[in-house]
Amino acid sequence: MDNLLFSDRSIWTMIHGIVLGGGALLGLAAALFSLGTIHVTDAADTADATAQNQARYLGWLLGFVAVALWLTVLMGTYVNFPAYRANPPAGLADLAHYPKALVQSSPRTMWLHSFAMETKEQMPWIAAILATGMAFVSTRHRSRLLHDASLRRFSMFLLATCFALVAVVSLLGIFINKVAPLE
Amino acid sequence: MAGTTTDGEATRDTVPDSMLSNGAALAALLGAAIGAFALGLIVLLNEAGAFSVPAIYTPSGGVSGRTTLGVVIWLIAWLILHNRWKGREIQTGRVQRMSLALIVLGIVCTFPPVWGLL
Repeated sequence: MDNLLFSDRSIWTMIHGIVLGGGALLGLAAALFSLGTIHVTDAADTADATAQNQARYLGWLLGFVAVALWLTVLMGTYVNFPAYRANPPAGLADLAHYPKALVQSSPRTMWLHSFAMETKEQMPWIAAILATGMAFVSTRHRSRLLHDASLRRFSMFLLATCFALVAVVSLLGIFINKVAPLE
Repeated sequence: MAGTTTDGEATRDTVPDSMLSNGAALAALLGAAIGAFALGLIVLLNEAGAFSVPAIYTPSGGVSGRTTLGVVIWLIAWLILHNRWKGREIQTGRVQRMSLALIVLGIVCTFPPVWGLL
């Protein structure tokens, strides 16, 4: 694959960060908007039918978000992270293929491991767990979510928390990849 | 509503139609909050040197063990809460406040600058 534009490791990184993580972030933004704009009426009229329909799509969307986030954290932990933290042979001068060693080799970039990567290691798992709980509620308890304002407000908080967590770790991932990409 | 009991923590009414009750929904959300807190606590204890989870996949290191244990605790908590609360009407305020506190604590515990305070 050396003669191709992207290496295997680079492609896995893009699938992890852009396809899955980015897809989850977009899905969370759409879900937040959808949940915030659902208009519920007490009567079984057209408006309520519209809200039911919107809530059904919200359930599918959050199902997609949960799956995307689980694939993101699993791929990040079991595919990308081992390549990132691999130890270079002793005395190797060019650390380009050893991102962890590369960022730790300079005081200016050391924070990319001690803060950015350490944050990325565990925090996204919380987002995946919360998104799964929300996906369950929005698919199995759609009617309750529609008609219970308190549950809807709390769900908005959980989705906003998920969005913030995924956005922060995505940004940190971009910083790391900018300085020490997996190539 | 016959058969209503109050345990001081949550008011439980047996609701025949599970679609009308909020118990299973709140169980899923509180279970997720417990999972978030458990993961954070595992990470914090590991950083403090008080508790170390062995790696289940050596190339990934300890993070594979810590996150797996957090997920297992989350699923167990969800299962227990679901079995206890499904088909019931649960008072939302206290459950939501508890969930909020657990989630915030879980996130704070996974934040590296906090480890420096140990």
